[in-house]
Amino acid sequence: MGKLLAVIRREYIERVRNKWFIVVTVLGPLFFAVVMVLPAFLSIRGIKNAKVSDIRIVDATGVGLGARVDERLKRPPRDGRPAAKLPIVTIDTVAGADLAHAESLLVADVVAKRLTGFLVLDTLTVQSGKAHYAGRNASNVGENERLESAMRGAILGYRLEHAGLGASVADTITALRTDLATERISDTGKSGSAVAGMIFGLVIAMFLYISIILYGQAILRGVLEEKTTRVAEVIVASVKPDILLAGKVIGVGAVGLTQFGIWILSGAFFWGQRMRLMGAMANGALPAEATANMNFVLPTISPFTIVALLIFFVLGYTFYASLFAAVGAMVGSQEEANQAVQPVMMMLIFSVIFVQPVMMNPTGMLAIVLSRLPFSAPIIMPLRMTATQVSALEVIAVLAGLLLACFGSIWLSARIYRVGLLMYGKRPSLRELARWIRQS
Amino acid sequence: MTELALDIRGISKRYAAHVAVHDLSLAVPRGAVYGLLGPNGAGKTTTIRMILNIIGPDEGTITVLGRSNRDSAVLDRLGYLPEERGLYKKMVVRDVLLFLAELKGVDRKTANSRISEWLERLSLKTAEKDWGKAKVEELSRGMQQKAQFIGTLLHDPDLVILDEPFSGLDPINAQALKDTVVELKKRGKTVIFSTHLMDNAERLCDSVCIIARGDKVLDGTVASVRAENAGRTVALALEGGPSAAVMAVLQDRTLVERADDNNRYFEVELTPQGDSQLLLRRVIDAGARVQRFERVQPSLHQIFLQRVGATGVEEGMSGHG
Repeated sequence: MGKLLAVIRREYIERVRNKWFIVVTVLGPLFFAVVMVLPAFLSIRGIKNAKVSDIRIVDATGVGLGARVDERLKRPPRDGRPAAKLPIVTIDTVAGADLAHAESLLVADVVAKRLTGFLVLDTLTVQSGKAHYAGRNASNVGENERLESAMRGAILGYRLEHAGLGASVADTITALRTDLATERISDTGKSGSAVAGMIFGLVIAMFLYISIILYGQAILRGVLEEKTTRVAEVIVASVKPDILLAGKVIGVGAVGLTQFGIWILSGAFFWGQRMRLMGAMANGALPAEATANMNFVLPTISPFTIVALLIFFVLGYTFYASLFAAVGAMVGSQEEANQAVQPVMMMLIFSVIFVQPVMMNPTGMLAIVLSRLPFSAPIIMPLRMTATQVSALEVIAVLAGLLLACFGSIWLSARIYRVGLLMYGKRPSLRELARWIRQS
Repeated sequence: MTELALDIRGISKRYAAHVAVHDLSLAVPRGAVYGLLGPNGAGKTTTIRMILNIIGPDEGTITVLGRSNRDSAVLDRLGYLPEERGLYKKMVVRDVLLFLAELKGVDRKTANSRISEWLERLSLKTAEKDWGKAKVEELSRGMQQKAQFIGTLLHDPDLVILDEPFSGLDPINAQALKDTVVELKKRGKTVIFSTHLMDNAERLCDSVCIIARGDKVLDGTVASVRAENAGRTVALALEGGPSAAVMAVLQDRTLVERADDNNRYFEVELTPQGDSQLLLRRVIDAGARVQRFERVQPSLHQIFLQRVGATGVEEGMSGHG
């Protein structure tokens, strides 16, 4: 037991002290912070710099539609939240005959950068809702939408008033906005945003995939180092190879959990502080759009799911880590390792290429089968669990199967490891490998 | 307490293509310095690995310090320096040594004080520089070997097994190693080392065993081995180099089995029917001026060549040492 602890401690301390570990662990949270804050930050900047603020409306409708559009553009967004910078709109009322001339002048203004763009409204606009906009920001979806919505409201309002409704009634009717919020409902009735649940599942699956590869490769390199520097021989003269293998897997796993722990804690911290951070970046003024971007609901996760996710990581990691260790013991150089590790990598890649189809259809046959197979379960089952409801019984059964597979992979790897660690020279063929397994 | 530090009975180890060790029995008394001699590929390393229970023998039993070597507690009493040496390159020397000591069940406090002691003793820690705080990769090859040697001895083992300890050592470090071996013996420890350098073995060992191609050729104390193989060897020293006529005499296979030619000094092994007086007469008749002519006990080197032969050295060059 003391010897196992010594092996674990060495693996852990040496890796945690490594400067790459420190760099990645510190940069990880910074990366999260950037990922969380940047989109909202950019949207603030986008709103602040919105070029909608200096456009011109050319009104050839003859019924003052331009003024209505202008009025709606300057209206605050719904819920009375403060609007972005109010647009500066100039209205040119022209006669239909002069339209072509007015337009050509405005084009020159836009080219000379005196103007961002201009909106042309004519009699056709009132009849069929058709209008056109020309400007430097013509491809900006958000701004186009804003213009269009103001236009739609203006035309509707005009038509309703024309049909005899009072101005205030027309206004109430046209102020209606729809907003579809989607919610995922699980057996327990707990819910969260469906999109958020999907993103969360995807993040978890990719996170498990990447960490299994990174830490598995770390183990492979560690075993290879011991083999090529011949330290292995001194060590196995003191402890059984199985203890060395177990110590490695546990030590490196503990390094992984340490890193996740730091990331999760700092991630939670940044999440809690996101508004303050945003505020600092935006110089105090926090526009409504930005807050809306930041405020998507995190999916509600039951304690059972959290525990299950943790066990999936631990077992999935153990399953693959011992296989990576066996590969490390089989080969004599990093180049050989890159080849020999292919079968193990194939199992992981095979699981991850189905992440998208499973995410799209988490209740389908593919999702069910892949979430039950031991080698793909550590990646696919967490995804399925966050995307849809999986019964606790099924999760436990799959975990039990994975646990059995772990014993199998440890048993197999320990045998390859024991023989391979002291074998130098050429890489074993499959037949030799089978003999190693029988031999030890 | 048994008298034997190591008792090997009839061990064999076969690999797919060849037999590495065949029906080998050895008895090493406590407190002895024991040499395991043999050409490369004779089965020395395989034997040592079996003693340390790194690999299991196909047949036979190994008793170490009175207990089966499958008993993991007994492994903590063994110190092992493998032939291929290496340490974790990126680790600090002290940390590696601490780790190796812990693997042998030494607590960290004891280990730390022993490490300081040994580092000073082998001058890895001096007034100017403490190499214990450096990374392994910063040490010269010789210093790394010393560090590894320290790692072998930190748990104060009763039986120390050194596989080809002199290979790659410069004369100063080789001397330090010999001094340590002698001191271990004085403290009642048993030392077994393998080598193909017979001079070292002859000077250091109480007993030796020569193995070749997986078989034991002979074993016993150095004195008895030399006595048993004595009688047919003559030391011959000449003034000036040998003439062609003298060489012809030495190549007469009816008289001389083999002559170890060192230019002016020869170790001559007579044929069973060869007469030393006849040899002396013929050498003088051939015109040589003889400085020394003496019937001697052969050196281990001589015995080794005689019993294993040059062919044994060549044929044995495969796979495991």
